[in-house]
Formats: sequence, C-alpha cells, structure tokens
Amino acid sequence: MNSRPAWLPRALAVLLLLALLAPVFGWAAGAVGYAEPLENAAEATGAVDSAEAVGIAPMPDYGVAGLGSAAGTFVSALVGTALTLVVAGAIGRLLGTDPDAE
Amino acid sequence: MHIPDGYVDITIAVLFGALSVAILGLAARRVGRTVPERRAPLLGVVAAGIFAAQMLDWPIPGGTSAHFVGGAFAAILLGPHLGSLCVATVVTIQALVFGDGGLVVLGTNVFNMAIVEVYVGYGIYRLLAPYGEFRAAFAAGWLGITAGALTAGLQLGLSSAFEYQLLTTLSIMGVGHLVLGLIEGGITAVVYRYLARARPDLRPTADAEVSLS
Repeated sequence: MNSRPAWLPRALAVLLLLALLAPVFGWAAGAVGYAEPLENAAEATGAVDSAEAVGIAPMPDYGVAGLGSAAGTFVSALVGTALTLVVAGAIGRLLGTDPDAE
Repeated sequence: MHIPDGYVDITIAVLFGALSVAILGLAARRVGRTVPERRAPLLGVVAAGIFAAQMLDWPIPGGTSAHFVGGAFAAILLGPHLGSLCVATVVTIQALVFGDGGLVVLGTNVFNMAIVEVYVGYGIYRLLAPYGEFRAAFAAGWLGITAGALTAGLQLGLSSAFEYQLLTTLSIMGVGHLVLGLIEGGITAVVYRYLARARPDLRPTADAEVSLS
C-alpha cells in the first residue's frame, strides 16, 4: 500500500507552522479589535442578543480551560488540525476505496 | 462568516440543512469510487491546512479582521465535489469541537462556505483560467467568498432575529466580504501558484476525475 506520499512530511511541517502562528495572529487581530461583517450586521439590526453558544463543544472559542489565551489557541490549532487531517483523510480513503476495481 | 445558533429562523436552518445534505450526497456520489488512492492523504492535508489557515485572523487596521475560508482554494486543488466535502469536514469540526458556528445552523454554514463558495469559486476559476491561472484563482477566492457571504446575508435577512432587514444584511455581508475577499483571493492565488509550481502533479488537471460535469 502506497499510502504515505513523499510530500507528506513537508506538508505536516507546514501544518505545524500554521498552528504555531495561530496565537500570534490571534493576538494581532485582538489588538485591532476583531469584528466580522456578520457581527456588524447583527449589531446594525439588534440581533446580537439572539446568539446562542453551542453547549457541547469541548474547546469553546478555540480555548482550553486552565490554559492561557495563547497556549489555548495553540493547543486548539494543533488538536483541530490533527483531527481534520485524520477525519478528512479517512473520508478520502473511504471514497477512494473500490473493492470492485481491477 | 460562521453563523451561531439563534440568528437564523428554524425553517431556514432546516431548508438549507436539507439542501446541504442533498448536495454533499451528490458530491460524494460524483467522487465516490473515482478518487485515486494517492488523493486520500491530499484531501486530509488540504482540509487540515484550511482548518489551520482559518485560525489565522488577519488584522486590518480600522477595527476589522478576516480569515481565509478556503472554499475556492479547495475547489481548484481538489475539484468542486471533493472540495465541498473537504470544507464541509472543516466547518463540521469547527462547530462540534470548538463551538464556531451553531449546531442547528450547521447545514446553513456548510451551504455558504462548503457549497456556494466552493462551486461559485470553481466556476469562476474555470471561466477565467484561459486568461491566466493566477488571475483566475484570485477572482475565484475573491468572488467565491463574496457569494457565500451573500447567501449568508440572505438567510439572516429573512430571519426574525435580524428583523427581516434583508437589504441591511445583504449590503453589510456583501460589501464587507467583497472588500475582505481581496485577502481571500490573494492567499488563494499565491498558495495555488506555489503548489502548482512545486508539485505540478497535484494540480487538478493531473487527474481525470476532477471536472465540472
């Protein structure tokens, strides 16, 4: 089974770098005041108070209980990236599996 | 761009949830049994890269911020059907694990980011690619995210929490993301050009299964 392509280690290194950058960007965005058009639209129409938080999320707002903001963001980035890698990779294998092939 | 629960009326959430399930089902059937084995890790890595890149909030002086969504990027690299499944995986993990985007509106968020942005972005890319791949990728990212923002604006503007102020939600979402989308377009084009040069074998045209039809 040729399931580990040569480019994989380099791709994983890029993913790790992105996870390391997440707290830096989080801090910088916080410094300028984070607001998306969605939030602006909610404020313009008075919808802000209607938002309900998802209660079941184990790492709400990309944070980890007991960890600081930067460390929590980094761990969230690492966990989320790894989880996405595994889940999407499994979907890819599932779709690519063809027992009737050949 | 991630709509929380409570913002969109339940009828709209159900309608777009059903639409998303139907379209993703069709997408899975289209790519099903045609993904070469070497593309499976690529799907994982592209999805993981999009998740990580979405965590990078690009600060914009003046009190706003935007992050890369990656719908058009996934579509160009993986083809639209695999691309939509890729972004849908990211949006689902964001909602379930990190509370980014609601659960009742999960299908609504998937529709905007994993379907509209992906398919509109891919269509624009295909349309403009003959005039230059870099420009086409830029326009795909830019206008793809704007299209997704407009459907979000439509869903919000037809909901009671936003007092049915459709013109307000459409203009704020549409104009806001038309401007912020320039970053999306820039990242889409630069990263795609880098990948296309470094690994030409990973380009969508390298595999026959990636087509709009």
